[in-house]
Amino acid sequence: MKLSTGERWDLIDKISKETVTFGAYKHTLKDAIGELTVKPMTGIPVAIAIMYGFWSVFGSFAGFFTDGFFVRLFDAYWLPWLQEVFPGQGGWIYAIMVDAGGIESGEFVLSSNCLESFGVLTSGLFVAIGVVLPAIIIFYLMLALLEDIGYMPRLAVLLDTVLHRVGLHGYAIVPTILSLGCNVPGVTATRILETKKQRFIMMTLLAIFIPCGAQIGIMQDVVPDLMGWILLYLIIGYFVFGYILNKIVPGKAPEFLIDVPPYRRPLLSNIGKKVGGRVKGFFVVAIPFVLLGCAIVGVLYQLGVIRFLGDALAPVFVGWFGVPKETAGPLIAAFLRKDLAVAQLSAITMTPYQMITAVVLVSIYFPCVATFAMMLKEGWKELLGALAVLSVVVFTYGGLIHLIGILLGVA
Amino acid sequence: MKILLMGHPNVGKSVFFNRLTGANVTESNYPGTTVDYTKGWMKIEGEDVEIVDVPGTFSLDPKDKAEEVAVAMLHESRDAKVIAVIDASKIERGLYLAMEIIEEGYPIVIALNMRDVAEDKNIVIDADRLERILGIPVVSTVAIAGEGIKELVSRLKEAKPVNVDDIIANAANTSDTESAADAGGAA
Repeated sequence: MKLSTGERWDLIDKISKETVTFGAYKHTLKDAIGELTVKPMTGIPVAIAIMYGFWSVFGSFAGFFTDGFFVRLFDAYWLPWLQEVFPGQGGWIYAIMVDAGGIESGEFVLSSNCLESFGVLTSGLFVAIGVVLPAIIIFYLMLALLEDIGYMPRLAVLLDTVLHRVGLHGYAIVPTILSLGCNVPGVTATRILETKKQRFIMMTLLAIFIPCGAQIGIMQDVVPDLMGWILLYLIIGYFVFGYILNKIVPGKAPEFLIDVPPYRRPLLSNIGKKVGGRVKGFFVVAIPFVLLGCAIVGVLYQLGVIRFLGDALAPVFVGWFGVPKETAGPLIAAFLRKDLAVAQLSAITMTPYQMITAVVLVSIYFPCVATFAMMLKEGWKELLGALAVLSVVVFTYGGLIHLIGILLGVA
Repeated sequence: MKILLMGHPNVGKSVFFNRLTGANVTESNYPGTTVDYTKGWMKIEGEDVEIVDVPGTFSLDPKDKAEEVAVAMLHESRDAKVIAVIDASKIERGLYLAMEIIEEGYPIVIALNMRDVAEDKNIVIDADRLERILGIPVVSTVAIAGEGIKELVSRLKEAKPVNVDDIIANAANTSDTESAADAGGAA
């Protein structure tokens, strides 16, 4: 037998009267902290402090291990050793696996560091293990803390108004923050949004504007001075294009109701398991892709494909985006791994503003293959729609950034 | 045998799942951590039992894609038993979903989880009485601390479909005997 909603509630009322006694509710310290972090007057400063803390810890932890340890290990020992023992110096296998080298005054010279060498065993391993691994370990550690304490729903409440402007609501902060770790779980998390419109907007914005933890890690290492500008361009893009999408995508953007859970003391075992699981995922999925991406770009260089593409697309790269045509190589790598692409960009000589433009382009131009596959799983229509938006965004926004540079007199 | 873990978002289904199966699905303190189902296995009295961690849903009338996954999972598993996980500090809402599942004829046991949070809020639940009214096992648990999990498992075999009419009758009866007892005490 089935009850109507009213009958069901009546029955439950009766049952709970029989079985539950509600004592006097005491306002506890936990509640007080809970309120302080949700009310805008106190909540916004707290949120800023938390984000700032997150960023500082992230930067110093990743910097400590990368610059203090891995850079020395890879550049002073690993690279020279491989350059020495790997057979066939100057040959194409050597170039792809160890060091593509460079030509200086007509002579072949070896690279002096692991970012310039472009080899699978040098650049590939250095980017994956030396730079990205420390970055994602600390990122996931802090993310797990925020998740388990119960801060995320509070951030959602705080940001609700702002996110309504882009057709979403506060809870969209969950997929957004998860995407800062990796876009793949971010795309899956869009399922907590109610309507197709919201899911489409969210997925599109994630794929285009949210750099993943691996990418942020490498940016922090190779272009630390330009980080502010790059992130600013991405955040502005997120809101501007979200605003436009909200206007043109049909459908509803309903309000959200949320249970803000009580703050809880995080369990060390759970944090450990979560971080361990995600880092393991990185080893299994990401590292092979970094190495594969390195190999593919290496082969394409050797075959002259990248030079050809660079020359063919030079009008677009140089004329429209204002970046060197060599950017073609990293953009191909970006489809496999964005972190690798940023690392390769750093080896190309360009002005700081060109670097900002190039890194933003790498971020927005195409989701990496893992994200692409996950979006396909969520629906091919949405994926096609997102790619259409993406093409428009890359050209307009890329051109706009170039124009801003010209107007500022820096491009 | 197949067992579905169902309940509202953020009541601890994934914690049960990990404790029961020894698996490692993500547990967090925010609603919507699980958006797809995960299957795992455990042995109960020598029998292999499949456990499914179902995304949280407020009712059987889905309002987002994660809830759609949950309701579809329930309807695809006609022969499954359900562990309804209820946040003891928000018992009425939890019972609503449990009632919906009972009405569809699924054998069910109830885990009154987060007993500690309910205690913090001075909410006391008479689980025995709830059990007598509903006619199904009701177990108090604190899943993150592992409390009550063994009892829950040992009582899974008592899960059975119940007739809603019986629940209505039981709810009416206990309140009659109760008020009769009160009246007797007053006299």
